Amino acid sequence: MNVRQWIAVVGLVVPTVMQAQLKVVTSTTDLFDIASAVGGDKVKASHIGEGFQDPHFIEAKPSFVLQLRNADVWAFVGLELEIGWMPLLLDGARNPKIQLGGSGYVDVSKAMPVIDVPRGSVDRSMGDVHPLGNPHYWLDPENGRRIAKLFLAKFSELDPKNAAEYAANEKAFETKLGAAESAWQAQLATIKGKPVVAWHTSWNYFAEYTGMRIVAYMEPKPGVPPSPSHLLQVVQAVKASGAKVIIMEPFYDRKVADLVARQTGATVLILPPSVGGVPGITSYLQLMQHDVTELSTRVK
Amino acid sequence: MRNTLLGVLVLIVIASPATAQQSGIPPKPLPSTADSAARTIADSIALMKEFEKITTAAKPAPAAISSAQGSTNPRMMPDFSAVGDLVGDLSPKRSTQADNSRFGVREVELSVQSVVDPYFRADFFLGINDSEKISIEQAFLTTTALPAGVQAKLGRFLMPLGKQNTTHRHDLHTVEYPYVLQRFLSDDGLKGTGVTTSMVMAPFGFYQELIVGVVDHFIDTPDGLTVDKPVNRNLDGLGYSARLRSYVDISQNANIELSASAMTGKVAQPLVASFTTADNVTASAVGARQSVIGMDFTYRWKPLQQGIYRSFILQAEVMRQLNERNPTLPALSPLFDPAPGFIRGYAGPTRDYTGGYVFARWQLSQRLYLGGRYDNVQDPMAAGATLTAGSAVLEWFPSDFSKLVASYERVNQGSATGLDRLLLQAVFSVGPHKPHPF
Repeated sequence: MNVRQWIAVVGLVVPTVMQAQLKVVTSTTDLFDIASAVGGDKVKASHIGEGFQDPHFIEAKPSFVLQLRNADVWAFVGLELEIGWMPLLLDGARNPKIQLGGSGYVDVSKAMPVIDVPRGSVDRSMGDVHPLGNPHYWLDPENGRRIAKLFLAKFSELDPKNAAEYAANEKAFETKLGAAESAWQAQLATIKGKPVVAWHTSWNYFAEYTGMRIVAYMEPKPGVPPSPSHLLQVVQAVKASGAKVIIMEPFYDRKVADLVARQTGATVLILPPSVGGVPGITSYLQLMQHDVTELSTRVK
Repeated sequence: MRNTLLGVLVLIVIASPATAQQSGIPPKPLPSTADSAARTIADSIALMKEFEKITTAAKPAPAAISSAQGSTNPRMMPDFSAVGDLVGDLSPKRSTQADNSRFGVREVELSVQSVVDPYFRADFFLGINDSEKISIEQAFLTTTALPAGVQAKLGRFLMPLGKQNTTHRHDLHTVEYPYVLQRFLSDDGLKGTGVTTSMVMAPFGFYQELIVGVVDHFIDTPDGLTVDKPVNRNLDGLGYSARLRSYVDISQNANIELSASAMTGKVAQPLVASFTTADNVTASAVGARQSVIGMDFTYRWKPLQQGIYRSFILQAEVMRQLNERNPTLPALSPLFDPAPGFIRGYAGPTRDYTGGYVFARWQLSQRLYLGGRYDNVQDPMAAGATLTAGSAVLEWFPSDFSKLVASYERVNQGSATGLDRLLLQAVFSVGPHKPHPF
């Protein structure tokens, strides 16, 4: 290889190195998808949890430490959703950028209007209650927009030279989301006011958005498995309200829900709470579209 | 009748797993790009303002957020927690507890944890029990801002020697540590006071962590022994440790960990008879080098989607204790008047010992686990007589904050009749939610 060829190679390599992508790691697939939509090819995004996995109970595998140790951004849901595993991973990563106070530490819940914040004293007799409020906020598209804007601000702050591109991406995301929302207005009208049963409190934001009425939870208290006596109460609530649907996440044991369904004539609806929760749901828009469509079909 | 039938059916199905479904997320398509530099800056500023507007318009989130190292309150109070560890011993022949109790509070552990400043985090664990009263179980400072992924820990901590020794006793999957750890290290976990430094690396594409440490001493001097001089008087008498962890994901659902550990130091070993040394010390023990080397292996299986209902762990650990055979004995004091038959000799171990265990645990339902362990140790406390034990453990977790355990164990040693042990344990904690041990 002669000198000119070397110069040519260096000329190709150096700009590539200088245009390094922001390394973004998110705790959930929903944050990952929105971060990818806003960041485009300027970020290299990855996620820890899978959409079909209970985000409360992810294992703090050392391989995740490798994912985090060079991250520029660590974005997580917050409100103690990740409290069972995130501290071990951040401790192991030894990456000051993503520690509390670091430039890449992004608690997404900080930009959210939080519901279900317990009033008065809270203790463990109330189950696995989240003392800072309900963390499942992404299931309201308005909060999806907030997440996108938060990523826009963070990416622009860390990588100002690409701020315009992030802005364009975020705008495109909002446009698509707005168009999708317009398309499912009729379905929302079908859902509004309809009684349903949910397994966990993860559908409370979705209920606020769609207007569905949660008349009972399969869990007697957050995180506590259903007891026979509680299930009897659920059966009574379903019969009294006329609820036709029992909504549950793909990671719970549906046999218990099936049992209630058989007793009441309701149907069990497996709704993914996150991107990737069921096969074919590969984006946030698809997730919301799928959940609204499925629910509206079942509650008719 | 119908309600009763429903209740019975619920009890039957509640222990069954969910059906499996898996899906992946394909890579995102590349979005459209770029504008001019001037517009970029203007847009960026405008968008930052817009974001600020949004965040201020949003309903305020309450108080502080939970953080990896931060306290969960805005007044920067540390996290306080307490763990109770109760043990019942219903073994048919006699209690097998050190204090002969049938029911006892084995330990109450109080902990205080917080960030100190931008450079350190602090963890304090005080152990309270009837025999030792209050003791400093652990008290250490962890660096949070060293470069190159290096982390140092200063203070007293569970030594990174073997797999289970780094786990608090009440967090074990069994009521007690495996016998190899009890015999070679300590009944309640080997602690050291000093410093360890660790580095995470991936030279072969998978996770590895190297931990090296130096501590005040290796094994505590047993009660009743007086050494001619402190075992750590010279630097070669301190405790030195090293551990290399290697972790590999086999799939999304399974992983293995293979690690090697070693520790060496001088420990107090008994003399045949006590005597007055040239330094005018009445010594009953002498410092002799002891080392422990070990390998441990863990296989974990936890299907992501069914992970709250199903999991499996297979763990094995083997250790070898290496003992100095002929340590230099202290010189006799010229003023010492030996009794008839006095022998100036070494009564410590003159051989090496090996031991290990295999442990497996299967998750039966969301809250119920069944485990078993087989131990095999050349027991240094019984001149190397082989101790074997087989045990079965049933663990029930009413929540993340409480655990009830029932354990049956059969212990055999030498030609003696086997000992049956029936142990019950209740562990409960109050305070902030701690991360689940991995």
